[in-house]
Amino acid sequence: MAATSRTLEITVISAENLQLDRKPIKKNASATVRAENDGQFRTTDMDTEGGAYPKWNEKLVLDLPMQARSLTVEVQCKTSYGVRTIGTAKIPVSDFVGGFVPEGYLHFLSYRLRNHRGERNGIVNISVRMKVPELKACATTSSLSSMGFPMGDSSFGCGGVPTGIPVWCGPYPKSY
Amino acid sequence: MGNCFSNDTGGMSAVGGTAGAHGNPYDGPNDAVDLFLRNRGYNGLFSQIELSFAAIDLLDRDVLSKSDPMVVIYTKGRDGGLSELGRTEVVLNSLNPKWITKHNITYHFEVVQTLVFRVYDVDTQFHNVDVKMLRLEEQQFLGEATCALSQIVPKSDRLLTLDLVYREDSESSRSNRHRDRGKLIVHAEESVSSKTTVEMSLRCSDLEYKDLFSKSDPFLIISKLTESGTAIPVCKTEVIKNELKPAWKPIYLNIQQVGSKDSPLIMECFNFNNNGKHDLIGKIQKSLADLEKLHAIGQGENLFLPTTVGHDYQNKILKSQLFVDKFTESVQHTFLDYLAGGCELNFMVAVDFTASNGNPRLPDSLHYIDPSGRPNAYQKAIIDVVEVLQFYDSDKRFPAWGFGARPIDGPVNHCFNLNGSSHYCEVEGIQGIMMAYTSALQNVSLAGPTLFGPVITNAALNASQSVANGGRKYFVLLIITDGVVTDLQETKDALVKASDLPLSILIVGVGGADFKEMEILDADKGERLESSTGRVASRDIVQFVPFRDVQSGEISVVQALLAELPSQFLTYMRSRDVKPIL
Repeated sequence: MAATSRTLEITVISAENLQLDRKPIKKNASATVRAENDGQFRTTDMDTEGGAYPKWNEKLVLDLPMQARSLTVEVQCKTSYGVRTIGTAKIPVSDFVGGFVPEGYLHFLSYRLRNHRGERNGIVNISVRMKVPELKACATTSSLSSMGFPMGDSSFGCGGVPTGIPVWCGPYPKSY
Repeated sequence: MGNCFSNDTGGMSAVGGTAGAHGNPYDGPNDAVDLFLRNRGYNGLFSQIELSFAAIDLLDRDVLSKSDPMVVIYTKGRDGGLSELGRTEVVLNSLNPKWITKHNITYHFEVVQTLVFRVYDVDTQFHNVDVKMLRLEEQQFLGEATCALSQIVPKSDRLLTLDLVYREDSESSRSNRHRDRGKLIVHAEESVSSKTTVEMSLRCSDLEYKDLFSKSDPFLIISKLTESGTAIPVCKTEVIKNELKPAWKPIYLNIQQVGSKDSPLIMECFNFNNNGKHDLIGKIQKSLADLEKLHAIGQGENLFLPTTVGHDYQNKILKSQLFVDKFTESVQHTFLDYLAGGCELNFMVAVDFTASNGNPRLPDSLHYIDPSGRPNAYQKAIIDVVEVLQFYDSDKRFPAWGFGARPIDGPVNHCFNLNGSSHYCEVEGIQGIMMAYTSALQNVSLAGPTLFGPVITNAALNASQSVANGGRKYFVLLIITDGVVTDLQETKDALVKASDLPLSILIVGVGGADFKEMEILDADKGERLESSTGRVASRDIVQFVPFRDVQSGEISVVQALLAELPSQFLTYMRSRDVKPIL
């Protein structure tokens, strides 16, 4: 059966220069990663001492639907008035999928956070790695095409053979 | 302030007076990757190289016995002058000596460090004289060899065998010159202290009150003692507010930073004051070896306070104690480990052919080819950079592009192959680049505008294809330009994307343009680059230098450009946990 999602390992590393009401926050920042068109989200622990420069270094595993075009990272802060959003960043899936780099490549990505008024409010630093499924040489056409590989002529040989990528027996090779 | 990565704003203030109330706690841009590594205790680049020597088949200059050889090591300056680094011991009666004396030299990636080795047969009458006192003109010359340090360090075995030749300025007969004079074997080993990092967690107990209405705000400064007794700060902790039993975040020290594990360190505990006049709470003097023992036995050490009683200086022992809760040593892979372990630097060059350079046929043009052979600014920049980088690129085939020109039969092209080929962009060595450059000047007409986007994208494509093929390569693109970039936002977009690839970009500005805007691209000088979509560069991959700035100064353009390259390389490799194959 065709895969409907990809598994991402997202490490939320840190954020910089976070402010609430134009003042640097003192503590209790956390970050939430959310997939587009999907109720699924993951949240880091609170950094109780990092202030405006929190560090989480926390790995979150998230399933990203195949049709999703972006992820959202939201940084929030727990205050005496409740949890307040500091800023959000929209991460295009194209920043870590596609191109020449292999699927298991570890991407380090940083994004500008913007508050609800659209003003710049700090930066969030993350790393993203797509967990690569173990491909067998005899994998079915549907499972390969669902990974976004172009398909060859299905009349040639047994079933569809993906063009432009090597066919591996066993797990995909590491990027190094 | 050394390589201590547990700063916060207070800690920044700790040594330099008051920092801005909410300043960035790190000295430079807080790169995602840099922070990721700092949290794991990775430090900067320290490389002490230990040279050792052996020889085979030396000339026998003694009548009744074999030669008694000694090696004298020199470094060659840019002017060709030699300065002596040191001498080995004399090995008696041997034509195949292995010398025991090692010589240390600091490795500078950004400089071609030319070494000259001269082998002498020491006369019997001087065998009891200290080698430093020997007059070389009284000894018999056996031969000399020359190499660059960067020829040895990338080799997997770090060994280089050199033919010993006759000195050109020697008065000896020419017939002697071509005789086989044996071989010198040079081995370069990176000292272990260059690679060893200590992680320590420190805390204090029973500190004294130094503030009127609250407890103290303590932080530590760790300094090394020089031979003259001067204390040089190497590390500091963060400030912990209102606490008499502080436990600081772990600190990281490279052993070479402090000299050795037995070098004395002064550890001073201060009470932080906003005005920068911090009160000394107490101090101790311990080496890293002592601190390791304290950790092993789980005991604290009392701080003391220097006091004066009359004319005497005395140490008042305090109730306050310092504890070492954690002490671990780890060996990091260094830049040289990666080179020896099969990683390569691949060099690429892009030359600005826009009309603002002036007509290449006129002497006032930046592209003017001087019939006397004196290189123009473009040629000089290429030669200086490639001279350093070529040692780290095994095939010495370099992609070379031009931008901003109109080929004879087409529209303006912002990334064309310098060699004129439509199929491949690589040229062979420095000569290949020079020939392609001069022939391109004949075959294109200068145009404009100045766009960097296409060449950066092309370089990034090379880097990403290498990653896809499992290559262990790091790419370096040199862009030489005379003008301010026209497509600033597109360039930023391309650079932000490329910051996640094994790529660094060196930009040299030639001519008299105002390059203020170019410095925006170099994150050393300001904020991190941001793309039009809100993505920010995950690390600094750009080094910009205006050619004229450093032409007459002490530091060459190349040194200014290349100085950051090893740390950019390490940041990339370490963050991805790429290990050298050793």
